[in-house]
Amino acid sequence: MKLARIVAELGLENLAAGDLTREVTGGYCSDLLSDVLAHVAPGELWITHQRHLNVVAVAKLRDVAGVIFAQGNRPGHDVVSRAAAEGVNLFLSERSAFEIAGRLYRLLRP
Amino acid sequence: MRWWRADLHLHSALSPCGSLELSPRRIVAEARRAGLDLIAVCDHNAAENGRYVRRLAAGEPAVLMGMEIQAAEEVEVLAYFADEESALELQAELHAALPDVPCPPELFGDQVVVDEGGEIVRRVDRLLLSPVAWPLAEVVRRAELRGGWAVPAHVDRVPGGLLGTLGLFPEGPWPQAVEIAPWTPLEAARARWPELRDRAILRGSDAHYPSEIGRAWTDFYLAEPTLEEVRAAVRGQGGRTLRPSPEAKEER
Repeated sequence: MKLARIVAELGLENLAAGDLTREVTGGYCSDLLSDVLAHVAPGELWITHQRHLNVVAVAKLRDVAGVIFAQGNRPGHDVVSRAAAEGVNLFLSERSAFEIAGRLYRLLRP
Repeated sequence: MRWWRADLHLHSALSPCGSLELSPRRIVAEARRAGLDLIAVCDHNAAENGRYVRRLAAGEPAVLMGMEIQAAEEVEVLAYFADEESALELQAELHAALPDVPCPPELFGDQVVVDEGGEIVRRVDRLLLSPVAWPLAEVVRRAELRGGWAVPAHVDRVPGGLLGTLGLFPEGPWPQAVEIAPWTPLEAARARWPELRDRAILRGSDAHYPSEIGRAWTDFYLAEPTLEEVRAAVRGQGGRTLRPSPEAKEER
């Protein structure tokens, strides 16, 4: 499913997004970046509470379709501007990680 | 110059997860038993018991002021100070930045400041085992601003380790030195995290119980057991050097 449709369906706030035509293959929830490095797959949406700058590096390295900051955890300007420069898609949701993941799962695996 | 054996990461009764038996008297006794020349008491977001340990030890062993700060990312950083005043000033700032969560002793354990004579000076009500409101870079900046030395604790560990939690080091020269967990073989850590190869690797016991003091340590080749000399060893100045102990046997 195209990223643009998911952003619209989940009502995500767009913090930094270059390419909304990307195909989303699944999702992954984790706040431990080492765990994300080891287990996230390219093309997945990563749902997290972690706001450190390294989120952008890990997202880029693993080529995720985008990062969704859950529970209104808005990242700092350094994170957003780095993501924009690296072409990493960042989104914000006021919803809990549980709700975001549940809604995403229903969209992707109806 | 000579070799000095150091354990720069042990807890006291002020850590909720630390044994109530870890009074200054017991810590000094166990450190001497373990043949340590230099120690640092690093309680979670607190430095206060270090003062009493230092007075009691009277140089045997030498005692650095220290604390284990939990940053907002839930990464833990050891901060060391030569003087009590700077450490206690940072402690006051930390406590103002801690969430207002109480510490019911039956759930988390006691948080007590204990003096040289074993008397309880005070109990800390706010839970110390919480992340402060500062991101990692701010924790490092605040420690350095007061003349402290910031070293990421047990970097390989989950939870709490910088590499375990954040996957890679932040950009820039920090950290020049890291601590690895007591039970991680050195070569395994270097193989898993290649960025450790050009950094000084320290090991501490992370003791939460008396018997754990001295289970892991770092030997420093120094003129005297001071923070200044330890930092010079990390830079490799004037023939000063360091080597971490083998890993501890038991795994938690």
